[in-house]
Amino acid sequence: MAQAAPARRSRFLLVGLILAHLTAISHQVDGGSGASLLQRALLSVVTPLQRLVGGTAFLATELWRGWGFHRETYAENRALREQVRSLETELQLRAHRAQEAVRLRELLALQQAVPLDTLAAQVVGRDGVPWFRSLTLDKGEADGVKLDAAVISATGVVGRVFATGPHAARVQVLLDRDSGAAALVERSRVSGVVSGQVSTAEAGAEDLALKYVSERADVVVGDVVVTSGLDRIFPKGLVIGRVRSVGDVTGLFREIRVEPSARFDRLEEVLVLKGSPPALETPRSVE
Amino acid sequence: MSRALWTAVALAGAVLVETALSHLIVLPGRYLDPFLLVVVYCALHFGETHGMLAGAAAGWVQDVVFGGPVLGLSALSKLSVGFAVGLAAGRFLIATTAARALVVLLAAAADALLVQWLASVFSVEARGLPALALVTRATLSALVGGLLFALVDRRVGHSRI
Repeated sequence: MAQAAPARRSRFLLVGLILAHLTAISHQVDGGSGASLLQRALLSVVTPLQRLVGGTAFLATELWRGWGFHRETYAENRALREQVRSLETELQLRAHRAQEAVRLRELLALQQAVPLDTLAAQVVGRDGVPWFRSLTLDKGEADGVKLDAAVISATGVVGRVFATGPHAARVQVLLDRDSGAAALVERSRVSGVVSGQVSTAEAGAEDLALKYVSERADVVVGDVVVTSGLDRIFPKGLVIGRVRSVGDVTGLFREIRVEPSARFDRLEEVLVLKGSPPALETPRSVE
Repeated sequence: MSRALWTAVALAGAVLVETALSHLIVLPGRYLDPFLLVVVYCALHFGETHGMLAGAAAGWVQDVVFGGPVLGLSALSKLSVGFAVGLAAGRFLIATTAARALVVLLAAAADALLVQWLASVFSVEARGLPALALVTRATLSALVGGLLFALVDRRVGHSRI
């Protein structure tokens, strides 16, 4: 047992010395490529490790760089989305203002065309209930709005004021069944009364009815219908709409449908007539 | 005198002998290897570890002073031989001069063959030793070694066996 340890030690020493000598010899022997055998052996061992370590480092670097790039891209993407959203909002605002400018220009043109004192008002509410067709304006008695004042838009007659408040007014639009406006066909001067058809939103309810037109009256599809001024509410000559259909005779009168020229669903600004339309000249015999 | 010092002195003597022989004859290594004699003697008397270390030291001295372009071939060869001889000395009874001479003969042959083999393995250009030269070298080394070991044993007076 005591002799085994030195023997083992000497064997270990032998192996160590042999390896050391092989290393020393290899270090001196040219491997054929300018490098010694030791260098080549070491390179063959170390190079895969270096490749592994280098590859891992490269991968880690690329991952880190990719992560950084991803974060940058993400942040940039968010910023760009915000910018796009902001620009879209601004664009919508500008488009809205442009449309508003167009509408106001049309309204101004109408205001200058109408020989009466008018007041521009903004539509702030519409059709609170389905049974009536009405609008709410932001101008009231304090602004000079009176009951039964005519309300017109750049495209045509809208309706009349049927209720007023200090700073607001309700308008009954022509589409309402209980509304009415004295009208005449511009081409043939055939007169009648224009009113809404139904008080609920049904098919075809967006058309007006031209009532009290005799069966022999000269009315054709496409005729322009204007106010006649006989109702003392609407001044004469304002466009109401265009005849869409001339139906069969029901009783004594024809059934005529008029497509309103006013775009009731898009009304935003209107003109309210402050004064009464000029009185019609009444024949003396009637008086 | 310690083993290491004795070995160092012996190696120094081997250097001197080799140097002297190189001045007397051409290629003295073809006929006698005094370093190998020191290694075998150390291994026979002090065991495989000392023989191995002495072999390594002798080989390095030989390589550095008389060797070729690659150092370590003789050292590796001689440390192997030293270990083998030391191992054999521990296993077998190698006390007589004839037995020692035989060990020297085998060691010289093994050393020469080992150096040539290592040279070929490492692609080192080494002068080849023909079989006759190898036998001559081994025989001469055995004769000289046998006589020398006996002389030294008688003069120094220390014997392992």
